[in-house]
Amino acid sequence: MSRYVLVGGGVATAATATGLRAAGFAGEIVLVSGEPHLPYERPPLSKEYLAGTFGRGDFQANPDGWAADNDIELVLGTRAQALDPGLRRLSLSDGSTLTYDALVLGTGVRARTLPGFEGDRVHVVRTIADSERLAERLVPGRHLAILGAGFIGCEVAAVAAAKGVRVTVFEPEALPLARVVGPEVGHAMLDVHGEQGVVIRTGELVTGMSETPSGVELRTRDGEVVECDDVLVGVGSVPNTELAVEAGLDVDGGILADEHGRTSAPDVYAVGDVASRLHHGRHVRVEHHDTAVRHGAALARTLLGESEPWTGEHYFWSHQYEHNVQSLGRLGGQTVLRGSLEERSFTVFSLADGRITGMVALNRPRDLLQTRKVLAVPHEVTAAQLADEDFALKGLLPQRPRRSEVRA
Amino acid sequence: MADTATGQWHAVMDVDDLWEGELESVDVEGTSVLLINLGGNQVMAYRNRCPHQDWPLQDGDLDGTTLTCAQHLWEFDVTSGRGVNPANCALVGYECKVDEDGTVQVRV
Ligand SMILES: Cc1cc2nc3c(=O)[nH]c(=O)nc-3n(C[C@H](O)[C@H](O)[C@H](O)COP(=O)(O)OP(=O)(O)OC[C@H]3O[C@@H](n4cnc5c(N)ncnc54)[C@H](O)[C@@H]3O)c2cc1C
Ligand code: FES
Repeated sequence: MSRYVLVGGGVATAATATGLRAAGFAGEIVLVSGEPHLPYERPPLSKEYLAGTFGRGDFQANPDGWAADNDIELVLGTRAQALDPGLRRLSLSDGSTLTYDALVLGTGVRARTLPGFEGDRVHVVRTIADSERLAERLVPGRHLAILGAGFIGCEVAAVAAAKGVRVTVFEPEALPLARVVGPEVGHAMLDVHGEQGVVIRTGELVTGMSETPSGVELRTRDGEVVECDDVLVGVGSVPNTELAVEAGLDVDGGILADEHGRTSAPDVYAVGDVASRLHHGRHVRVEHHDTAVRHGAALARTLLGESEPWTGEHYFWSHQYEHNVQSLGRLGGQTVLRGSLEERSFTVFSLADGRITGMVALNRPRDLLQTRKVLAVPHEVTAAQLADEDFALKGLLPQRPRRSEVRA
Repeated sequence: MADTATGQWHAVMDVDDLWEGELESVDVEGTSVLLINLGGNQVMAYRNRCPHQDWPLQDGDLDGTTLTCAQHLWEFDVTSGRGVNPANCALVGYECKVDEDGTVQVRV
């Protein structure tokens, strides 16, 4: 009987396991995770779970009985330590070894830390444990300093502010989030945070910290000293590629994989955040929930011999306060604004050669859903059309007969 | 289909006002219910909350019989309520019927 071993307790490996069983795979499935939990979704860690509106059971990738019902062997709280692709063998931190017929690496990323920033009052958010540790510190009247106005920094700022915590965010760039989602959304979210009492100090860098008996003193590049109770470091991530590097797999930023998720070693696959995967002709590594799930699900089909790769568009979202940021496809090049900046309801399209390549939207779920379909078909559109709200995006889709007409 | 066979029948709207291919939400005694007209006088009723994270579904997209939630793009087959992507979830369904005079009734 064949044995498929999945490493990682995120949504990517969970989707592979689910997909394998759904398609009738009868062999052994072993899921090894360094965390003590069933695979879970991370987005709520900086949103609902941090805020206290979700409990643990609300963001598991699968219900409690899932592993038993699907005959999936869970090896939790155990790390994969070494991989020998020649012998098809994985060594685990509990001293045991596992041989495999196929190995799936879904080891994700970890939060990047900053040298000199450590101690009881310094936080990152990547795991349930991180989120719980930070949540305990979000007490009204305390002062939280956040280093980096990326998604995690901004989401935590929103939750903390709502809890009555004083929040100061330090961001070396001129706008929050802008590197990823562009200046329109960056400006809008800068204003939103300001209205909620969050101070975002753009163009400022924190260069050092020291603990005092009652808190933390931060030093900025300009020599200012800022006192706070806690520090969240939100400066990006580091892919967990060590296992792959030491095993001699090709790694460049992420674990290199083809469009099916196959790495340079036979029968070893990479999925999710850790994978730098061939996507429309180039290697791309993204840290998006949706992509991780789709990689995972598509890999199950690959393992069972289907040859269609997943070629969908990369999608991610962020919720802050009552606002919803959503992004799809590739951003950059010529951009066109549709909607209203003042009303905080707009989409910024990216266009190349008369085709939409991607979009980012603030509070425009309908645009997102329509664009998703448009991106999947050949189409031609002008900047003027996209800017005109009377121009229906639906019109770019091939017209299909309504069902009633088909039936007639 | 009737996950909730208890409850009362409520007249919610006229089937002629429920366009095929559109998503409509109605309030039934404090419960938001999503209505979908499949054509041929067949109407489906679901709890207007995504099984993923409870967001309302009426902002979603209905393409044929696939409903995509606008938040994180989970997909459902509205003829059965079953999850398409991911498959291990389902919409909560309510019993629903269309009377001879075109009144849509939902049991909530
Ligand atoms: C706070 C936060 C908020 C986010 N919000 C959003 C959002 O709003 N929208 C969005 O699209 N995306 C969001 N993301 C990103 C999204 O969560 C990731 O894209 C997703 O988690 C990727 O899943 P994965 O399965 O690839 O990896 P992960 O979820 O990172 O899982 C990797 C797993 O591998 C385990 N592991 C690592 N090394 C080993 C080893 N050697 N042995 C055993 N186990 C190992 C880890 O412990 C972990 O369990 C957010 C991420 C975070 C942290
Ligand atoms: S709430 Fe519907 S997909 Fe997440």
